[in-house]
Amino acid sequence: MIHSAAPRLDIAVIGCGAAAEGLYRYALGALESRGIARVAALVDPNPVRTAALQRHFRAARTFADPADAFASVAVDLVIVASPPGMHAQHTVDALAAGSHVLCEKPMAIGAPDAERMVAAARVARRILAVGMTRRMYPCLVEAQRLIAQGTLGDRLRFTYREGRVYDWPVNSDAAFRRATAGGGVLTDIGSHVLDFLSALFGATTATSYADDAHADGVETNCRIEVVCPEASGVVQLSWNQPLVTRLRITGSAGELMLDPGRIDALRVRRGGGTWETRISTATWPSDLATRGRGDTPRTHRDCVYHQLVQVLRAVTHGEDVPVDGERGLAVIRAIDSCYERATSFELPWLDAAERSQADARHWTRRRCAAA
Amino acid sequence: MRGGIAVLGAGGFVGSRLLERAAHAGRTDIVPVVRAARSVGRTANLGISHRFGDASRAETLERALAGCEAVVNLTTGDPADIPRTTENIYTAALAAGARLLVHLSSASVYGAVEQPDLPDDAPPWPGHWMAYARQKGVAENFLRERMAERRLAIVVLRPGLVWGPGSPWVLGPATDLLRGAAFLAGSGGGICNLMYVDDLLRGIDAVVAHREAPSGFYHVGDNETITWAKYYGALAAGLGVDPETIRAVPSDRYRTGLRDRVDELKALPIYKRARAWLPVEARAQIKRRLARVRGRERPMSSAADNAVGTREIWHLQTTRYRLPTTKFRATFGDHNMVPFPVGMAASLAWLRFIGIGLDEAA
Repeated sequence: MIHSAAPRLDIAVIGCGAAAEGLYRYALGALESRGIARVAALVDPNPVRTAALQRHFRAARTFADPADAFASVAVDLVIVASPPGMHAQHTVDALAAGSHVLCEKPMAIGAPDAERMVAAARVARRILAVGMTRRMYPCLVEAQRLIAQGTLGDRLRFTYREGRVYDWPVNSDAAFRRATAGGGVLTDIGSHVLDFLSALFGATTATSYADDAHADGVETNCRIEVVCPEASGVVQLSWNQPLVTRLRITGSAGELMLDPGRIDALRVRRGGGTWETRISTATWPSDLATRGRGDTPRTHRDCVYHQLVQVLRAVTHGEDVPVDGERGLAVIRAIDSCYERATSFELPWLDAAERSQADARHWTRRRCAAA
Repeated sequence: MRGGIAVLGAGGFVGSRLLERAAHAGRTDIVPVVRAARSVGRTANLGISHRFGDASRAETLERALAGCEAVVNLTTGDPADIPRTTENIYTAALAAGARLLVHLSSASVYGAVEQPDLPDDAPPWPGHWMAYARQKGVAENFLRERMAERRLAIVVLRPGLVWGPGSPWVLGPATDLLRGAAFLAGSGGGICNLMYVDDLLRGIDAVVAHREAPSGFYHVGDNETITWAKYYGALAAGLGVDPETIRAVPSDRYRTGLRDRVDELKALPIYKRARAWLPVEARAQIKRRLARVRGRERPMSSAADNAVGTREIWHLQTTRYRLPTTKFRATFGDHNMVPFPVGMAASLAWLRFIGIGLDEAA
């Protein structure tokens, strides 16, 4: 059954690892079953991965090399879901081939690469969107509304804590090396968190940053002090600690609490009163019809689907994408700025001797020595 | 030292702390072995090279242990797999030419300690209601037979509750205290056989450093005798929880509750198959609906997911005696350096770090 008023679009996926398998497969399957889009090409150097994904997208051709795919198949949109260190090159190549691009987060592992991607999109006159699925959270829309209404008053302060023991089903340890991943938990979860905060309070600026990475490692814990035009606060992220995960915002007149595990609800209280749960009914388009129906995402997977639809609507109707290359670049610059000012993060339960040992092995010591 | 020290289960609570201490101290002899790339994430800050080996597949283990002179088995996982993985690890350690296998068992193989001066080589209780304890006992029996063959030294360590920063035995009780769900069997006078994680690791170091470690079973534990009332009391004081909120329950019989039934359900093979088959999103939806049915706003946080089961806690709280550790100390020395108040202060610092007790009123 075709719900869409627009022609069916062709999509290529570069990188058939955990992100493609765990995030995009269901959304792409839904787009195919609704006649909105078709997966035309799957690209990954590992034939086992392309074959695994091809079982769900029978019409897709498989390629080991993106250049071969671009030479053989013309697609409307390329989803770049390769390892972060390859995002820039794959994106630039896809844009040069005439496709629009949705690049998974983190957009790149450093501002120079992200700037190159934005410039390539400008030259090619193509859309560059960055996958920040949390922008689709209904609770974000509700929080934006409450803040804009002044429900919390002024002098807004936030604490954003998010962490658990790492369990993303990665296929290799490339995600844990600075050369291939750019960083650890800051690059990974921090991309989402900094973008989320900027959606609420405006551009984020890190005023201090501390992490726990040794010379050859990437950070598994970090703490950032952040200033935005509309608020300031602290972000704590972890890949190895079961943090009590939530965003809490306090102002002169009230408080908000968001839990990333509950995407459609938040809690609010005014003037120290009782907490009240708000379920958001914010909707996003479900197809490409200009007056199509909207749905409220209830799961993270729904958000991936709606984000993809919104990018395709940008391709077909010229609408805005949730996060464009410029906004993605701003997040990468904020992350870079954190790494530039990095200091050693003291884990308070270690004794003084061990804290001193950890500090001596902090990755910035090598940078200082090199300087 | 001829070769490295392979650490199996390096992605777990004890294993990751072992790696962290070693890395901070600048040691380079540790060879972490994990089953999946994701397990590297927990210690990715340390920049240590990992080897990959699956304890359920002996052939992958042999490669992972190559060149190591000692093998430390800290693996956990599905209780049903414990005997098989123990056999595989023993076989692979032998094939790799290791001189020593250190196997972390558990005092839970006895259920509650119900006699004073329990000998270290006392056999496990085969009728334990908890699958984990039963299967740990089966693994011990396998190793007991191998010890008699004397093909390599096998040291089996039996800690009670491994506690300290990062431990489920800190997180679970702390979460229960803050939720008002904590209880004490009787007056809380049962013995809490604690083993502080860093002291356990110092003990493992001592075993590995011993040039001719005698094969055998060794109880290990903290030096102080701590009751459950004292343990919960110290946690409650640190978290600012009124100790009056800790319920007293009978110590002579346990009444099964909903959480126990859920735990029993989770142990069924059909549940495990369904869990593996269901996507993460669907599982999250089910959890949310169950939470609503139970009158909670949302499912327990990731922190509380690691909480320990109610029946298990009750059972442990009926422990009458301290686990004797004389044999270990006589053989390998006393390496306990963290008194209870210091360990508790560190545990509370960790709880505050992860956000427990900071804004729970919300």
